[in-house]
Amino acid sequence: MAVTEKNILKRLYFVAGCMFIFALLVVFKLVNIQFVQGEQYRGLAEKRTLKTVDIPANRGNVYSADGSLLATSVPKYDIRIDALTPTAKNFKKYLKPLCDSLAKFHGKTSGHYQKAIRKARQDKNRYFLLARNLGYSEYLRFRGFPMLNLGAFKGGLIVEQKTKREHPMGGIAERSIGYERFDEDGNVTRAGIDGAFGEQYLRGANGRRLKQQIGKGQWKPVSDANEVEPQDGYDVYTTIDVNIQDIAHHALLEQLEKYKADHGTVVVMETKTGEIKAISNLGRNTKGKYYERLNYAVGESHEPGSTFKLMALAVALEDKVVDTSTVVDTENGILTFYGKKVRDSKRGGYGKISVAKAFEVSSNTGIVKAIHNSYKDNPKKFVDGLYDMNLQNTLDLPIIGEGKPVIPDPRIKNGLWSGIALEWMAYGYNVKVTPLQALTFYNAIANDGEMVRPRFLREVKEFGNTIEFFDKQVINKNICSKETVAKLQKLLTNVVEKEHGTGNGLYAENFSMAGKTGTAQTEYWMPDWDENKRYISSFTGYFPAENPKYSCIVVIHKPDVSVGYYGADVSGPVFKKIAQKIYTDTPIIDAIEDLEEKHVSVERSYETYYDVAKTYKTIMPDLKGMPAMDALVLLENMGMKVRLQGMGKVVKQSVTSGSKLKPKQTIVLELS
Amino acid sequence: MSLNRTRNFKFDWITIILFLLLVGFGWLNIVSASSSGEITSYLDMSQPYGKQMVFILFTFVLIILVLSIEAKFFERFASIIYLVSMLSLIGLFLFGKTVNGATSWYGIGGFTIQPSEFAKFATALAVAKYISDLQTNIKNVKDQLKTALIIFVPAFLILLQNDAGSTIVYAAFFFVFYREGIPQIYLLLLLSIILLSVSALKFSVLITAIIIAVLIFGHHFFLKKKRGNILQPIFITVACIIFSLGVHLFYNNILQSHQQDRISLWLRLEKDPEKLEQMKRTILYNLNESEKAISSGGVTGKGFMEGTRTIGKFVPEQHTDYIFSTVGEEWGFLGSSFVVILFVLLLIRILHLAELQKSQFSRIYGYSVASILFLHFMINIGMVMGLIPTIGIPLPFFSYGGSGLWGFTILLFVFIKLDSNRINEW
Repeated sequence: MAVTEKNILKRLYFVAGCMFIFALLVVFKLVNIQFVQGEQYRGLAEKRTLKTVDIPANRGNVYSADGSLLATSVPKYDIRIDALTPTAKNFKKYLKPLCDSLAKFHGKTSGHYQKAIRKARQDKNRYFLLARNLGYSEYLRFRGFPMLNLGAFKGGLIVEQKTKREHPMGGIAERSIGYERFDEDGNVTRAGIDGAFGEQYLRGANGRRLKQQIGKGQWKPVSDANEVEPQDGYDVYTTIDVNIQDIAHHALLEQLEKYKADHGTVVVMETKTGEIKAISNLGRNTKGKYYERLNYAVGESHEPGSTFKLMALAVALEDKVVDTSTVVDTENGILTFYGKKVRDSKRGGYGKISVAKAFEVSSNTGIVKAIHNSYKDNPKKFVDGLYDMNLQNTLDLPIIGEGKPVIPDPRIKNGLWSGIALEWMAYGYNVKVTPLQALTFYNAIANDGEMVRPRFLREVKEFGNTIEFFDKQVINKNICSKETVAKLQKLLTNVVEKEHGTGNGLYAENFSMAGKTGTAQTEYWMPDWDENKRYISSFTGYFPAENPKYSCIVVIHKPDVSVGYYGADVSGPVFKKIAQKIYTDTPIIDAIEDLEEKHVSVERSYETYYDVAKTYKTIMPDLKGMPAMDALVLLENMGMKVRLQGMGKVVKQSVTSGSKLKPKQTIVLELS
Repeated sequence: MSLNRTRNFKFDWITIILFLLLVGFGWLNIVSASSSGEITSYLDMSQPYGKQMVFILFTFVLIILVLSIEAKFFERFASIIYLVSMLSLIGLFLFGKTVNGATSWYGIGGFTIQPSEFAKFATALAVAKYISDLQTNIKNVKDQLKTALIIFVPAFLILLQNDAGSTIVYAAFFFVFYREGIPQIYLLLLLSIILLSVSALKFSVLITAIIIAVLIFGHHFFLKKKRGNILQPIFITVACIIFSLGVHLFYNNILQSHQQDRISLWLRLEKDPEKLEQMKRTILYNLNESEKAISSGGVTGKGFMEGTRTIGKFVPEQHTDYIFSTVGEEWGFLGSSFVVILFVLLLIRILHLAELQKSQFSRIYGYSVASILFLHFMINIGMVMGLIPTIGIPLPFFSYGGSGLWGFTILLFVFIKLDSNRINEW
């Protein structure tokens, strides 16, 4: 019996031992998981459950010099539907009402949508696009549509918000205001001011927030505050004057339409400071309408033609090889160099005339003769003269895509120099400059020899406080002697004032202008030129002639020859109109009404914003449910003061929607 | 009467306190695992933690009921309880409700009840009753077979309901038989079966055969003082080889694919890294998430309702079978060890009490209770931590579920009742 007892005890120990050993095993494994593998697992767990989310910074606004909004970011919504989400019952019940609403919104038939959405459901399309780029009010309207009003989980509503850059002034100066676009790979396409100053000022710095996964597809912020607060972009105040811009835009547009020209540009620059007051670039689309296509003023180098005679004469006068009184023989209006002919527009030429008159009547032979005689033995000197006046350099504009000037140099073997290069340069061929470069030179003459860089930026502000202020930038204090400048100014004034001057048609009694016409042949190297003559008509100058305030260049490419092509006729009136309007300070508000004549697609997007902006100008919008950021932008753009309480989306607004607002009224938004 | 009154309070309070600790701590973890971080009411019946609270409250009714029944009742009515329980299992084939592929539930109103959870207690009673019968001699093969049949019936019925996990629990009775004196050869047989199965799958039948042959013939020729018939080791070797082949056959043809995968992963049979990666993402998903949750707890854990992976519902089935991962994450190494210690203490206490029993019935029943609880504990915690292949059974007193909780409570408290009565026995 004792043996049995002992035996049983052994068995008891065995059973208890098994349990105990297992318990030890468990503890061992616990240690292993929690301490040995712990590090590795924790790393894994963190990676799976934490992610950093970028909080996009608000892009700064672009303003005109007087504070009008030129570019701003507004929220836009894409509406899609998950065609599989609604139950069969709901789908059947609400499809028609939904499609009726869609049809009303888009102006298509209800049947079209019914078919499309049914097909989407059949194809298991969970991402069917209903509308793109809706404004906030439109978005609210969509949310009320049948089926969609059931929400994301029952109705399959998918809303994607994005910010879109809007140009409240519409197509005006659109190209110069520009844009900065990012594609999915992070590549940036830039244009104009928005693009040029995006990285430096407008973009701001994105914030970062650590988010933790709390369930499938659900993420919550780890802490109350952001890890890195987003830094909103600075506001950029441009030099653009909305009024002048408007005049320039419409004057150019009118002329382009009249002459059925291919494209044209006009730039107005403040003489003393180099501030660009207006810049307009209009090109014709296939339907014959004009809109801002390319930044011709900045980007397009072309042979300037007669306007370049000013540069040629400036060199000659500065070198004192020629004087305005020097007499040149225009011969019979035809000069021949190496078999190539230089012709005057006036048949038979002008006989023997002074260099001054040759300039004023824009005699090609006269100027060419003068330059030829002075530099034929030493063309390098002429080229150096141009170089001294900074004509070989770009303007170092922040806006990308500036065209490079082309000046042939006998010392540089690049195929540009030839036996006739000097003579052809004298009247603006074989050389290329952009309209802005040409204007900069003319502006320097107007500015008594001081060449200033054209500028688009006046100030950079953050919350209304100036961060950076831009002053004039001098490229060359004196491009030539005061004496030369004075002679050239006189010549330019005479072009308009003297009866024989090519610009005399622009002459006005009550205000003075100075400038030079240019009628350059273009594409003359193409075989069809003789049947289809093409010109670049330009007028470059400044006003008032005696005390220059603004300089201005107008370039119009390929006007319809049957209507006219002389610089004085095609481009001159644009110049005059701008000068006149600024000079006489006519109220120009009436002109703004014409804004509506714009390219259709540009117009529509502009209108939607403008509608919102207008209706909301004095009436409190319903902001409930709107993200705080957007609500803030909307209200601040209306000129209201906003105070935010809490975080997230608007749940309460201190002023009920629909009520009238006083300017600068403070509005309190409660968020959650 | 006075004798009666004192008797009523002779319950083993240590066991009861351990029970209460387990249930209470278990519920806290269910709260974490089933809520989404916000609690409106602890009795919110739409949430598992609310339901579990109600289950727990009802448990006390059961306890009072069990404790107030005359101890002798259980012995006397063991057969009938067993019979009723078996009928309830059979009834499932007619009226059962299928959840997660297992037809183990009766649906009554909004509640479901799982008779297999009560079958354990009934089987334990029947086994205790049969072995303690004076007519029964456990050393007798015939009686061994009869006892085995008592276990086999519920195990088989539950297997037919596609609940392999609960079936395995019936292996717990081996401990009982072992304690009651079945020959050592059974233990050897059991160990051999386990080792052979693992070896045959992990290595191969050929390698297993070689190892067996070396061991058996080595033993026969060098260790045995009195060498017997050479046929005996040959026979054993052949039997082992046939068994190994049988294991392969069983593994490849009888096991369902998800069972194969679990074993394959446990024994690391899959060598193709791509397939392995895929298996880890699917079959091992639960285990991975559970291990990550446990590991993220560290020494002291993240604190009650602070476990991000728990609140975030990263571990599927966390409030039921994977409840231990909540303990690991929110209470850390200390909390997990606490749970392990509670279980070990409970088991040792039950074994200790069982050994004190004067009646063989009570002792066998006590052993059954300890063994069943142990097997649940072992399989569940082993599974949650990847010590053994995934077998879905609840952690006693801890996991969410009314049937399980009540089943274990009755199982335990019948023993406490029996134990309280030991003074009156003799």
